[in-house]
Amino acid sequence: MSRKFTPKVVTANDLLEGDSIWMTADGEWTRDIAKAEYLEDADHAEARLKLAESQPGKIVGAYLADAKLGENGPEPTHFREEFRVSGPSNYTSSKHGAASHV
Amino acid sequence: MYKYSDFDEKFVRERVAQFRGQVERRIDGSLTEDEFKPLRLMNGLYLQLHAYMLRVAVPYGTLSSRQMRQLAYIAQKWDKGYGHFTTRQNIQYNWPKLNDVPDMLSALADVEMHAIQTSGNTIRNVTSDQFAGAAEDEIEDPRPYAELIRQWSTDHPEFQFLPRKFKIAITGSPNDRAVVKAHDIGLRMARNDAGETGFEVIVGGGLGRTPMEGKVVREFLPKADLLPYLEAIVSVYNLLGRRDNKYKARIKITVHENGLETIRDLVEQEFTVRRAAFSGIDQEMLAEIKPAFPKPTYIQAPTDAFTTAYDADPVFRSWVDTNTVAHQNGDYAIATISLKKHGATPGDATDAQMREMADLAEAYSHDELRVSHEQNIVLPHVHKSHLPAIHARLVAADLATANVGLVSDIIACPGMDYCALATARSIPVAQEIATRFDELKLEHEIGALKIKISGCINACGHHHVGHIGILGLDRAGVENYQITLGGDGTETFAIGQRAGPGFSDTEIVPAIERLILAYLDLRENSDETFLSAYRRLGADPFKAALYPDAEKGRKHAA
Amino acid sequence: MQPDPFTASVADRVTDLNERYLNHAAQAVLKRALTDDTVGRIAMVSSFGAESVVLLHMLSVINPATPILFIDTQMLFEETLTYQQEVAAHLGLTDVRTIRATREAVAAHDPDGLLHKSSTDACCDLRKTVPLENALSNFDAWITGRKRFQGKTRATLDFFENEGDTRIKINPLAHWTPDDVQDYIINNRLPRHPLVAKGYPSIGCAPCTSRVAPGEDPRSGRWRDQDKEECGIHFINGKVVRGPILKEEPMNIIVTDQGFGQDDWTLAYTTPDELADNSDAPALAIDLASDADPAVLAGKLDGIDMIRIDFPSFADGRGFTLARRLRLMGFNGRLRAKGHVIADQYAMARRSGFEEVEITPELAERQPWDQWKARATWQDHDYQNRLRGAV
Repeated sequence: MSRKFTPKVVTANDLLEGDSIWMTADGEWTRDIAKAEYLEDADHAEARLKLAESQPGKIVGAYLADAKLGENGPEPTHFREEFRVSGPSNYTSSKHGAASHV
Repeated sequence: MYKYSDFDEKFVRERVAQFRGQVERRIDGSLTEDEFKPLRLMNGLYLQLHAYMLRVAVPYGTLSSRQMRQLAYIAQKWDKGYGHFTTRQNIQYNWPKLNDVPDMLSALADVEMHAIQTSGNTIRNVTSDQFAGAAEDEIEDPRPYAELIRQWSTDHPEFQFLPRKFKIAITGSPNDRAVVKAHDIGLRMARNDAGETGFEVIVGGGLGRTPMEGKVVREFLPKADLLPYLEAIVSVYNLLGRRDNKYKARIKITVHENGLETIRDLVEQEFTVRRAAFSGIDQEMLAEIKPAFPKPTYIQAPTDAFTTAYDADPVFRSWVDTNTVAHQNGDYAIATISLKKHGATPGDATDAQMREMADLAEAYSHDELRVSHEQNIVLPHVHKSHLPAIHARLVAADLATANVGLVSDIIACPGMDYCALATARSIPVAQEIATRFDELKLEHEIGALKIKISGCINACGHHHVGHIGILGLDRAGVENYQITLGGDGTETFAIGQRAGPGFSDTEIVPAIERLILAYLDLRENSDETFLSAYRRLGADPFKAALYPDAEKGRKHAA
Repeated sequence: MQPDPFTASVADRVTDLNERYLNHAAQAVLKRALTDDTVGRIAMVSSFGAESVVLLHMLSVINPATPILFIDTQMLFEETLTYQQEVAAHLGLTDVRTIRATREAVAAHDPDGLLHKSSTDACCDLRKTVPLENALSNFDAWITGRKRFQGKTRATLDFFENEGDTRIKINPLAHWTPDDVQDYIINNRLPRHPLVAKGYPSIGCAPCTSRVAPGEDPRSGRWRDQDKEECGIHFINGKVVRGPILKEEPMNIIVTDQGFGQDDWTLAYTTPDELADNSDAPALAIDLASDADPAVLAGKLDGIDMIRIDFPSFADGRGFTLARRLRLMGFNGRLRAKGHVIADQYAMARRSGFEEVEITPELAERQPWDQWKARATWQDHDYQNRLRGAV
C-alpha cells in the first residue's frame, strides 16, 4: 500500500460505436480524455473501474490506464494510450474525419 | 469462379440473420460480452484500439470484379473510404459501427462473400497461392480443394470452439507462394511414385511467439481422403490441444509436446474411423466445384503492341520486369498491382482504387483478381497486348509502383496504429523504409528482398520468414524494434535468426539502411540476392553492419 | 425436557432451541449457543466483511478461543485480508482458521483465475462452498452473521436452522436491522472495513463485488446484474443448494428440439471409473468430464443408457468432439450436454450428436426458449450433412 500510486483514468470502448472513451467524474463517458476523471487514489480508481464494469450495456473492455495531468486535463503517458487518443498515425485526421492518404 | 449454390446462398443469408440477432441480444443483455465476443469473432468482428474492425474473407484470395466493386462500396458506405488487404488474403475495414455490421455482412452476401471464421478459435479462411490457376509451375489448380475445405470447415459443429485458431494453406505448385510450412496445416500438391497427384500434409507450423516449421505428418495423401484426414487432425487437436495457456494452445505446441509420431498415430487411428463416415458425396461435390475454376478462354491475338511498348517505354519496361511473371499461357502474363507505393500504408486501397482494379480485371483479366499474402492485388490472366493499357491506367490511379518483390514491397501488419494486441507501430516503419530507399534510388540495384514487419510477437506481419524481419516491441513504454535475418517463407523455408539488441523508432530505418548497404558490398555479384549472400556468409558480417559500435568496441578491446 | 444431544434428531433439537430462545437478544443466543450442550462442536464462519465485526466482537467477549473459519477465496480484496488481520488482533481472537480451495482443485478448475467470468456459481463452488463444506464436516453447528433484512431470500430466517439433518446453523443477528448493526459498531468503537467508506456496503470477492449507489439495496453490489443472491453456503438434505433458503433445489432445464422441459432422468450418474462396479444396474448413466478420453468407454457402450458430457465453459469445445467420437464409436443411447452451453451453440451440439442440453435456470432465464428455438432447426443449412450425403 505504500508504493506510490500512478494516477489513472478509466477508459473503455463504446459498445455501439467502438470509439475509445473515458469516464468523467460524474460517471458519464467522454471521447475527450481531457474531460476524464483524474484518479489519484488506488481504491477510488478501483471503485470507478467497478462502476465502469457494471455498465456492459454501454461499454466494452474497461480498464485503468496510466495518466498525467496536463494543461487541459488528464493526458496519456504510454504511447499506446496516445494512439488511442490521436488515432492511427498513417492517415491524417482519420480518427474523427474522413481518411486521406499521407 | 465458384458460384454459390442455393445451399451456400441460404447458409450465408441465415448466418447474417443470426448475427443480426446476436447483435440485438448483446445490446438487450441476453448475451454477455464474454459470450458475445466469440460469436462476433466467428463472424470476423474484432474490437480494436479505436473502433470495431471487420475482417472479410476472400476465400483462397480470389475475387471477381463485381466482388471487388462491392468491397469498394462497403468501404465508402460504412467505413472511411479505404480497406486493408492482409497477409491472410482478407480485407479489413477499420471503422465499422456495431449496428452497421449486419448490413455490411448482408452487402457481402449479395456478392457471395462473408466474414465467417475470419477470426475466433476455429478453422480460418483457407489461403492459397495467389497465382493459382495461372502459375507456370503448377501441378494442379488448388482452389477447388480450397473451396471444398471452405465448405467443410464452415460452421463445422465440432470445431467452432477449438483450443486456439487454426489456419490451413494449400498450394498446387512446388514453389511455395502460400507459406504452407508456417500454417497449422499446410497442403502441398505432390506426385507419388505411381504419378498420381495427392497432398503432402504438413502439420504444426506457425509463427508467433514460438515459430516452428511444419512437419510432414503424411507424405502422400490421396486427394479423395482430404476431408476425413483434415477432420482427424483437427479432432485430435481439439481434445489434445492445451486450454490452460493460450500461448501453448496452437497445434504446433501440441505436436511439439506430444511428438510427431504420437500425433501421427492418433491421427491415422482417427482417420480410419472418420473415413468410414464419408460416403463419397464430398467427391461428387468436388467434381461439381472443379468446373467452376476453368482455364480462361484465352484470347488469340498478337503481342506486338506489348513488345513495342516494352522496347520504347522504360517506365513500362521497369513495371513489367518487376511486377509481372510468366503465365501458363505464353501470350499471357500475371500482373501484380503493388499496394506498396513508397510512403503509403502497405496493403491499403481506397474505394476508388478498388473500383479501378475491378474495372481492369473486368476488361483485361477474365474478370478475376487475386489478393496475395504479400498484400498486393493480382490480375492473374492478362494478355500481354493489354499490359500497356493496364499500366497507363494504373499510373493514373496511383497504382503503378514497380516494386513487387523489392525492398519497398514490405509486409506490415496494422500494428499499434489500429491493433489492440500490438506492442509497437509497424506501418510508419514500412513507410519510412520505402521512402528512404526510394530517395536512395537503390531499390532495383538491391533486387529481390523481402522485409516483413510485425507490431507484436503474434507475427501477423510474418517477420520470422522475412529475409529481413522486424518485430516491434514495447520496451518499458518505448517502441523498440528487433531485427531477424535469413527468414524464408518459401519451399526453402527458414525461420529468421535474431540479430541482436533492438533499435528505437528513430534508429531502425538507419539500421536497415546499413544492413542493406553492407549486403551490396558483400555480395559476389548482382545476381546474388540478400538471402543467398546471407546463407553463404552467415550472420556475422550483417551483424557487424547493424552494430558498428559493438564491432569497434570489440576491435578496440582486442 | 430437552432433547438428548446424542440421540435426538437435528430437527427436534432445532425446534426446541428456537422455542427456548425466541425472545432472546442476539448476545444471549450466541452465549447459549456457545455453552449449550445440545449444540455440540461449534465454529463461527466469518467473511470479515462489512458487518462481520459485530458478531466477532460478541464472540471475543464470550470466548475468544472459539474456532473462526475465514474463507479466503483467493479472490478477495486486499483490504479484506488486511482487515482480517487487524480485527483478529484487535479482538484477541486466537483460533482464526483460514480455509482455502486446494491448489489441485484450483489448478484443475480455474487455472487462469477467470472461472468467475464464465460461471460465478462454479467459482463460488470451487473457492467457497466446497472448502467450507469440508471444513464444517468437523463441527456440529456453525454461527453466521446472516440477517433477515439482507434480502428476500433471508426474510424468514430463524436463530437456529436445521441444515440437512446433520448440522445446526445459528444466526444470532437474524432479527437485527441495519441501524442495530451501525449502532453496535459505533458504541463499541469497532474497526470498520475500509471499503465500506468507498461505497461497498456488502463485500465479497473482488471480481463479483461492485459499489452500490446511495439508496440501492446494500447487497445489490454482489454479483451485480446476475440473478445470484447467495454464494451457496447453504445446505438442504445434506446437499449444497443455492438461491432462496429452504426452497427446493432449483432444477436444471433440459433443452430439446421441442422446447424447455423438466429432467426426466432420475437415476444417478456414475463416472467411467466406477463403471465396473455398476454393471448390474438396471440403467446406466455416465458423467463424462470434458477432459475425458472416450476410449475408456470402448466396448462398454452397449450397456450404457445415458452419457452426460460436461461443458465447464461454453468456450471449451471439447465436448462437441467427444460427442462425435462416442457416436462414431457406436453409442446409440441418450447423449446430453450439461453446463455452460449457450443458445447459439445448440445447433452445434445437435449436429455433433447430442440429443439434449442441460442448463441452469439462470441461463434459461437469460436465454429463454425463443433464443434456442432460433437454432432448433439444426438440420437446415448444415454443410456436414451435405458433404456426407446424410439426410
